[in-house]
This record gives sequence, C-alpha cells and structure tokens, in this order.
Amino acid sequence: MRFILVDRILELVPGQRIFAEKYISAQQDFFQDHFPGFPVVPGVLLTEMMAQAAGKCLDAEKHSRGKAMLAQIRSASFRDWVGPDSRIVIKATVKTNRAAFATADCEVAVEGRTVASAELFFTFVPAGRFAPDYVDQVLQDFLDKT
Amino acid sequence: MTKEEALDWVANLFEEEVVDISLDTPREDIPAWDSLGTLTLMAGLDEEFSIQLNEDQIADLRNVGDVVALLNGAGS
Repeated sequence: MRFILVDRILELVPGQRIFAEKYISAQQDFFQDHFPGFPVVPGVLLTEMMAQAAGKCLDAEKHSRGKAMLAQIRSASFRDWVGPDSRIVIKATVKTNRAAFATADCEVAVEGRTVASAELFFTFVPAGRFAPDYVDQVLQDFLDKT
Repeated sequence: MTKEEALDWVANLFEEEVVDISLDTPREDIPAWDSLGTLTLMAGLDEEFSIQLNEDQIADLRNVGDVVALLNGAGS
C-alpha cells in the first residue's frame, strides 16, 4: 500500500489553511480486512489524511525549519463511517505556527458531512534527512498551477 | 497563579500525578519530559500563557521549579 493520502489540493493559504481531497476506491486492499461485509476506511487512515493535508499547508511556507511531521494526536473523533468509493474532502486550519512546532484543527467530510476531526501537533525535520530528490508532488503540482 | 495551580499544570502536561512531583524534581526524573515533552511544554506555555521561548530558553528549564517560576511570572 502506498501512503499518499491526499490526491490533490483544492485551496491553500501557506501556513494557514488548506482544503484537499482524496478518493478512496473500493479496490483498496485494506477493505478486505476492515471489515469483511462491512468495509470502512480505518480511522487511523482518516487521521493520516488530515496530518498529510496539514503538513502540506505548513510545508508550503518553505521555511528553513524543515518538513512538518506529525508528533502528537491531541484528540481525534470519528463521527461516521466512510465506505468504499468515497470522495473525501480534508480541511486543516493551522492554529499555532512556530519555529519548533505547529498545531492544526482538521476535519474530513464526505458529501458535506463531517465524518472525523482531529487536533494535531507537528514538529519539523530538517530537509537534509530526506532523499535529495524527494518532492511532495501533490503540493508541487498545486504550487505550479498558482 | 498559585504554586499549587502551577504544579497541577506541570503534572497534567507531563501526565504525572501531582503528588509525585515537587519543585525540585529534575526534568530527568519525568519520563514524559523528553524531546516531544519539551515541544509540548513550549506549545503549552505559548498557547495557554502567551509565553514564547526559544529552544535555548527551554533548555534552561531544568526542573519543575523553573517552569513554576515561569508560570508565576506570567500570572503576576
């Protein structure tokens, strides 16, 4: 399973807020186990979607502090099931944004209904720790268009 | 903020029982005061008390008493 859980960015104000989307097809492997006869997207993946979206919002500022990495899930709630063939809209609003850490309030929605939310805490890892040719292509594609 | 309120705040932040810490408790004796705990402390001071410290200033906080002194200064 690849681990890019944001397909594209819809709106972005670097360091402040982001709207993004992810389509979950019925062919995803994890539905076979989660659960037979009742396929639902795992809450941990919804949380990771929110973290990836918020991370892109922070990374878009292109600070020297490095890449945003999830360090703590302060809270998370899962209000409804998300099934196969769902178009998920992810929203993240950065609340605190400092050199050493950032926090974001995040939500995911399906068909206009909030199905999960989380308050996430990020730290930053220097760019030198990643592969030299590493590019967040989803973020880059959005920035190239604007 | 009273000393007791400050100790409560520190205990809650580091997920310790307040009876298990004192002003003299060094950071090394608090398991949750690791690198993530340091960031959590910075965030808590910032978000709840508008105290912004850089990483050098945070490194100078060596025990619970140092944090309590900071909180008492913010409350006055």
